[in-house]
Amino acid sequence: MAEADLALLLAAAAMLLLRGLGLLVAGALRPDHPLVAWAAAVSQATLAAFVALAIAVPGGAVAGLPWPARLAGLLAGLLAHRLLGGRLLPALGLGTGVLLAVRWGLQ
Amino acid sequence: MGATFLAFGAAVAAAGRGMGWALGASLLVYGMAGQLVLLQAGGVAPAALGATIANARFLPMALALAPWLGGGARRWLALPFIAITPWAAAMRVLPGLPAGERLPWFLGFGLASWVTAGLATAAGHAAAPLLSPVLLAALLFTNPLYFALLLAAELRLPAPRRAILAGVLAAPVALWLPPAWGLLGAGLLGGTLAFLLGLRRGGG
Repeated sequence: MAEADLALLLAAAAMLLLRGLGLLVAGALRPDHPLVAWAAAVSQATLAAFVALAIAVPGGAVAGLPWPARLAGLLAGLLAHRLLGGRLLPALGLGTGVLLAVRWGLQ
Repeated sequence: MGATFLAFGAAVAAAGRGMGWALGASLLVYGMAGQLVLLQAGGVAPAALGATIANARFLPMALALAPWLGGGARRWLALPFIAITPWAAAMRVLPGLPAGERLPWFLGFGLASWVTAGLATAAGHAAAPLLSPVLLAALLFTNPLYFALLLAAELRLPAPRRAILAGVLAAPVALWLPPAWGLLGAGLLGGTLAFLLGLRRGGG
């Protein structure tokens, strides 16, 4: 079995375990238990680190986009998200549009 | 939600992995943060462990959702569908429904979201080879942008704000660690520091 397939199977099993554990211990473990708070903090920090790295030092095809375009796309998306009352799809569309516009402008 | 799964399908194709792997990740992991870590990290242990940590929020989400699904064995049918989109909708809708209608509502909504995720992943995987490199890169960029928007919305609360800022500050650590372990190390370091800082400040 390829490494990627094995990693997928293990991750899928771990997801069932996380979800199942939550259903199983509901009532025994408070949602504000320190273990739950730590897991939530690590989860959010991992996601934040992923976003920071994907925008500052991306790999693959995104690395071909110049950094000013990536930064402009991010800022435009955040601004639109704030101005449009937290609506995700228009903010995503605007951020991606600005990314492409700046990229073409830098050509 | 569909846009992020479309982008994920394209990212899997760009990484040279097959449609089966893309669908497996979307339907069995069914949590985009973990899916992206699984795709990005190399090696078996760092990828599986990193994906688990990135989706660790499933545990508190299931904890919070469980009381609304009833006490019988049938609530275990909801297991595969506990993910951000169905969970957020359920926490809004279920309290207003009669007890007997809650589980059927969640199963219906969860199944529809799950099927949509699979279809969008397949479409993204199939479309990736047809896109120009720039359009493909822009599509792949939508996933970090999507999560940046979700995280920005959580900055209002002290505990998530600490964790998010600590994660961003710890991100450079990932560049010093072996590539497979970088993201996992940065997340563990940033999250643990944020948690400890929260304890010192008395929670919140």
